Amino acid sequence: MEKILVIEDDDAIKLELKRLLESSNYRVEILEDFDNSLDIMLLSDADLILLDINIPNLNGESLLKEFRKKSNKPVIMVTSLVSDITEAISMSYGADDYITKPYNSNILLLRIGAVLRRVNKTTDFLKFKDLTINISKGIIKKGDIEIILTKNEMIIFSYLVSNQNRIVSRDELMTALWNNDEYINDNALTVNISRLRTKLKEIGLEDAIDTRKGMGYILS
Amino acid sequence: MKFKDYLKDKLYLIIITFLAIGLIFLLFTAFRLEKYVIYSGIAIFLISNLIILLFDYFRKKRFYNDLLENISNLDKAYLVLETLENPEFYEGKIMYQALYEINKSFLENVNYINNSKKDFKEYVEMWIHEVKMPLLSLSLIINNHKSDINSSLMFQLKRLEDYVDQVLYYVRSENAEKDYLIKEIDLNSIIKNIALKNMDDLLDNQIEFIVEKTNVKVLSDSKWLEFILGQIVNNAIKYKKDIENSYIKIIVQEEKTKVTLVVEDNGIGIKKSDIKQVFNKSFTGENGRARSKSTGMGLYIAKKMCEKLGHKISIESVEGQYTRVYITFSKDKFFEPIK
Repeated sequence: MEKILVIEDDDAIKLELKRLLESSNYRVEILEDFDNSLDIMLLSDADLILLDINIPNLNGESLLKEFRKKSNKPVIMVTSLVSDITEAISMSYGADDYITKPYNSNILLLRIGAVLRRVNKTTDFLKFKDLTINISKGIIKKGDIEIILTKNEMIIFSYLVSNQNRIVSRDELMTALWNNDEYINDNALTVNISRLRTKLKEIGLEDAIDTRKGMGYILS
Repeated sequence: MKFKDYLKDKLYLIIITFLAIGLIFLLFTAFRLEKYVIYSGIAIFLISNLIILLFDYFRKKRFYNDLLENISNLDKAYLVLETLENPEFYEGKIMYQALYEINKSFLENVNYINNSKKDFKEYVEMWIHEVKMPLLSLSLIINNHKSDINSSLMFQLKRLEDYVDQVLYYVRSENAEKDYLIKEIDLNSIIKNIALKNMDDLLDNQIEFIVEKTNVKVLSDSKWLEFILGQIVNNAIKYKKDIENSYIKIIVQEEKTKVTLVVEDNGIGIKKSDIKQVFNKSFTGENGRARSKSTGMGLYIAKKMCEKLGHKISIESVEGQYTRVYITFSKDKFFEPIK
């Protein structure tokens, strides 16, 4: 399980963010001692840091700058100041991504997932049971058998695989699709999932996608 | 300063001079002075008065003409004093001094207002920054505690967020300070952000969101443009028709000198008599009143922001059929080498 270090000063957000990330199968460390932020950031074994720029008495930008001198660990900057100028500064200091408050939970998860996949260089290939999934080519391989998925089917399947130990809601799948410029509607999602099921059945994965009523889907 | 008008103004002097000449003539004649003495006396008197008049005229003419001419040439007339020399004549000095004092107190006043406007803007920005914390907490709480009322809570939360953003961009667009950064931005990512932001609304209202793939880049500020496009899409959602196949279509047209972004919907459209006013401040029109959700500020702010960014925004509509909003970006040759 990947670990995320959260640097955030608002108590309510801290609590809910921890809940959200944990329910998405991340381990969470919360930075409490703002006086030694840099040391804690450097010592932490987290895989990714979620850093709020606007914490009082803590200049997030210079903190990032200092951190970057010693570590390449991915950092997503979080801010409530909506401005291209601050965004440009953060990115120039070495942030891997930048997200503005109030963000949507699903989009935050997508952005975290994308940054982690980028650093782990797993953007193109995924594994599920004895399947090899080539995302960019849209191919699932099992031994010598290959099946081709459409772009939408691949987005759905790779999202389910990346989050295989938990229930994924329809809303999350929809967000993942829309995030890939596929602005489909509810019916189309249902159609895509049933087509995906049929294709998985073809390579011997019957009932791989389990429907949990009112909650979403889970791979089994 | 015209000589004719000047003479008119000095009419009393001329009348008094001629009355004086009449009196001198009578007096000198009564004393039986020689004719040539009388005439040369009168001539000296007349000429000296004429010289005084002309001298006075030319002395004032330079100052007043400069004053009037510079006022009409300057786009900020209140700076006129900077262009004038302190005049030599007494009235001019009084005038100059008075103008100086008036100017000073006026500028102090303007400065005071500008400062308090700046303070207010800073306060609003800070407040918005603060209010986003509870908004985010709420959104996370709703997401973490799944329930049947989630979507209606999220819907209200999004409305709140939209109104907060509107205030932010209102103060930013009203302010003289430059709060934006023009750089090359990918229209696709702007459209995607808008789509994601409005996803729930679009799905709930069963509005098809159609985007023609594009890789066109334009020069703009991404946050500002996102807000502008967001207002347009919000309107399209708000004023949809109660039919099955509602859509919002976004098309990007690239030409040699410009790029046009078109947002088309098949909503209720805008009345012909209203369309010229949709960009006016606080204009709600028949649609806005009918649906009673309109502040009439969205498009006004969007237009102001477009003007600042150098984009053109226009709208066309046939009531009951469609609305199309066009944002035109000019391609700047100056930036070409940078790309």
